Amino acid sequence: MTDRGGFAALDPCVHCGFCLQACPTFLATGDEADSPRGRIELMRAIEAGELAPDDPALALHLDRCLGCRGCEPVCPSGVGYGRGLAAARALITSRRGVPPLARAALAALTGAGVSRVVYALTRALRATGIPRWLAGWGRVRFAMGMLAATRPAKGGGGRRRLGEVGGGASRSNLPPPPPTSPVLLFRGCVMEGLFSHVHDATIRTLEVNGYAVREVPDQVCCGALHEHAGLESDARRLARLNVAAFGDGDEPIVVNSAGCGAMLKEYGHLLHPDAGGFASRVKDVTELLAARGPRPGAPVDATVAYDPPCHLLHAQRIAEPPETVLRAIPVLRLVKTPDAAQCCGSAGLFTLIEPAMSRAVLAPKLETLAEARPQVVATGNPGCLMQLGAGLAAAGIPAVARHPVELLDESYAAAGYYA
Amino acid sequence: MARDLAPLVDTLAEIVGPRHVRTALPERVTYAKDGLPTHRRVPGVVVLPGSRDEVIAVVRLLGALGMPFVPRGAGTGLSGGALADGDAVLIVLTRLNRILKIDARNRLAVVEPGVVNVRLSVAAAPHGLQYTPDPSSQTACTIGGNVAENAGGPHCLKYGVTATHVLALEVALADGRVVELGSPGGEPWGPDLVGLFVGSEGNFGVATRITVRLLPVARAVRTLLADFTSLRTAGEAVSAVIASGIVPAALEMMDQSCIQAVEDSVYAAGYPRDAAAVLLAELDGAHEAAVAADAETIQAVLRAHGARSVLVAADAQQREKLWLGRKKAFGAMGRLSRDLVVQDAVVPRSTLPDVLETIARIAAEYGLTVSNVFHAGDGNLHPNISFDGRTPGLRERVEAASAEIMATCIAAGGTITGEHGIGLDKLRYMPLLFDGDSLAAMRAVRHVWDPEERVNPGKVVPVHACREWSGLRMGRAPNPGAQSAIRNPQSAIDRKATAR
Ligand SMILES: Cc1cc2nc3c(=O)[nH]c(=O)nc-3n(C[C@H](O)[C@H](O)[C@H](O)COP(=O)(O)OP(=O)(O)OC[C@H]3O[C@@H](n4cnc5c(N)ncnc54)[C@H](O)[C@@H]3O)c2cc1C
Ligand code: SF4
Ligand code: SF4
Repeated sequence: MTDRGGFAALDPCVHCGFCLQACPTFLATGDEADSPRGRIELMRAIEAGELAPDDPALALHLDRCLGCRGCEPVCPSGVGYGRGLAAARALITSRRGVPPLARAALAALTGAGVSRVVYALTRALRATGIPRWLAGWGRVRFAMGMLAATRPAKGGGGRRRLGEVGGGASRSNLPPPPPTSPVLLFRGCVMEGLFSHVHDATIRTLEVNGYAVREVPDQVCCGALHEHAGLESDARRLARLNVAAFGDGDEPIVVNSAGCGAMLKEYGHLLHPDAGGFASRVKDVTELLAARGPRPGAPVDATVAYDPPCHLLHAQRIAEPPETVLRAIPVLRLVKTPDAAQCCGSAGLFTLIEPAMSRAVLAPKLETLAEARPQVVATGNPGCLMQLGAGLAAAGIPAVARHPVELLDESYAAAGYYA
Repeated sequence: MARDLAPLVDTLAEIVGPRHVRTALPERVTYAKDGLPTHRRVPGVVVLPGSRDEVIAVVRLLGALGMPFVPRGAGTGLSGGALADGDAVLIVLTRLNRILKIDARNRLAVVEPGVVNVRLSVAAAPHGLQYTPDPSSQTACTIGGNVAENAGGPHCLKYGVTATHVLALEVALADGRVVELGSPGGEPWGPDLVGLFVGSEGNFGVATRITVRLLPVARAVRTLLADFTSLRTAGEAVSAVIASGIVPAALEMMDQSCIQAVEDSVYAAGYPRDAAAVLLAELDGAHEAAVAADAETIQAVLRAHGARSVLVAADAQQREKLWLGRKKAFGAMGRLSRDLVVQDAVVPRSTLPDVLETIARIAAEYGLTVSNVFHAGDGNLHPNISFDGRTPGLRERVEAASAEIMATCIAAGGTITGEHGIGLDKLRYMPLLFDGDSLAAMRAVRHVWDPEERVNPGKVVPVHACREWSGLRMGRAPNPGAQSAIRNPQSAIDRKATAR
């Protein structure tokens, strides 16, 4: 067999069109070139050498793909769209390089030295409260909204905040903690730089449920953003470093960012046989929590819309566990919006690089959220938290975006688990 | 894009906005196929109007220029109908996706042509109503495409195909004149012009607004899955069910190879993998007791005619699963092999067992995998041939086998399409069914709507087989002024305007 890489995953496509209505970019433009089926045609054409990978009219439509993989679970033939896309993007990047904006964003967010400075500066800016004031539409104001959305909720780690009903379970009547099992925390770059409070909540809630969270030194960025940009060899290099850092034990590797989780689970394909074992250890935090119940916390009186990240729902096919986690919070009302399963338009660097399409994809979601009137939109991915947070602020919808474990953490704090 | 088209593109961009005119090769290539990818034509220009007025303006412009054009919905057609050649403009209607009105009291809806079939039923559901014709492609195809193909679907066995459900149409004719056909209250007088347009495969103009009938969602439903150890027995059971006098809402068949493809997919429905065929039957109505009694009868008939077992869906969830498997079956065929062609033919129901056996024999002779999934109650066959087009000579073999299957269906007293239309794919079979005079008559009807044959040219009627063709070819001068008009579109419009 000649190695056709990810392109072979496109072979089962029979051009039936069942994926069209699942694709947010097709819904936004109605253009076949912005649909999964049309993009598969383009990818097949570049593999066959019929079209040049750096033809701007071709690259435009592959660049405009969110990589959300909403097209995969609806495909009766099981087309591996995501794998094909990775192969196509690698080919495009090998010809035209990475566009300057994407390269700058990559360095700022994931570069070992640079990003530390960038995150420190952005945190300082965030602390001023200015981004929250500036949040709105337009490129800069939206970015400010995204930054504002990363702010930990008032009150700081593990303390009571959101509509608590008060009282709640007291420590004495709680069942004894189940046996302690070790898990390794994957920290990532954006999560570590801007959402360290979610890491804290992850550690606390896991511990309540009997997991002992261990830190792993020398771990690096998962490489997802590199792969999206077509930098396959960079992604592979990072993957090797992570595989080495996490060792070959059998402890689960816990991830609270859907995008990183999806990438880590792909290491088997990226590195071929040597990383299959690693990939099977990777677990989303909600998977681990749901496996233990999770233990119920104190009531939180809030209406929450769960918005599954594409890289959790479509790429990892994890649907139930986040809802199970939220249902462990008494009184909390979980509402469902009809288009929850559709991408919010964040898609890694997409929101920065393709702002017009990104906002067009976000718009219908904001409309249904405005109608559903939740107080919190829960989603387990840094990009989605920022995109939804910024969108809610810009549209003037009085709701905040939070990670599901943050909500559980609050409920546990109120229950006195951390006292 | 041919260089001559450049000025046209500017004018199109003025009408619809530059973002909605597609001229670059990679963009046009994505429109080169429909749901039957064995045919491939790259259109000259693709235009995506955003409103009825824009469609009409585009059609008027092309009329003034004498340029051929092709309407396209979602491109799920299975006869190559929505393809345009390099000298033609493809008018894509996906952006016309608004439901303009749901009138629950009078049970009708007015929609733009690009509304996706299932979205209308979803929108009507709060009123207890639905848009009944349910092609398996209903989550993707447009109502405009359904009208053009007179689409059928599993539940059309009892409730009739698209034609039964269209009340009125607004159509942009080839030259951009806009006509109203039918009326929301039903055809007021004279010939059924709506009926004439429905099924015209984009040859009679562009449907720009469609008024359809909505029906109440059935209050009582029973869904049965019967499995058989031979294809012949299953075919015989179909006739027995119909002979019982009860009209099922739907009666569908899937053979073993199709069952495997579905069961391997995300739409696995729990069909028994070892069955030679399954029948999916649905009974529905307004009264629980009556439907339950009908279901009992049909169960007994199926058992008496060789069903190994009959499963009754326990609840709505299981019913939906059984149906999803059926409706996504065609899409799942990609699991069997890289390439796929689907045929569409209707045979008298009584001949089903023989025809199915003959098809299996033809498949064996040509060494091909044929899977069957079809509307058994109507005798509407869909043999699917799976193959790897990269194997030298295989495409020719598939074509030859297809032709033989078609000949078998015609010999059994059937016809060459049940619902997918003629398009490009079935042109060559038309002369097997119709003589030159009949084809000429069809062509004459078309000329009433589109005298220059500019809308979706080269489809449906094989021109060379028409009796009057040779005369016409000699007599027909190329459209005067077309060439210069392409270079200067605005002048052509002005000229037409002053001529009027
Ligand atoms: C998986 C699958 C299952 C299918 N199942 C069924 C089935 O059960 N029953 C069935 O009948 N068909 C079925 N089909 C075929 C197809 O879905 C139907 O023919 C459908 O009606 C096509 O709609 P479309 O919007 O995709 O039209 P297109 O493919 O875009 O166009 C089809 C034809 O309609 C014309 N057209 C489109 N819009 C307009 C308009 N507004 N005005 C005038 N002409 C127009 C085009 O020129 C073309 O000739 C299936 C197809 C697939 C891929
Ligand atoms: S990707 Fe799957 S659903 Fe989409 S056209 Fe291809 S086979 Fe059909
Ligand atoms: S990954 Fe998302 S945006 Fe890209 S083609 Fe699939 S559904 Fe569309």
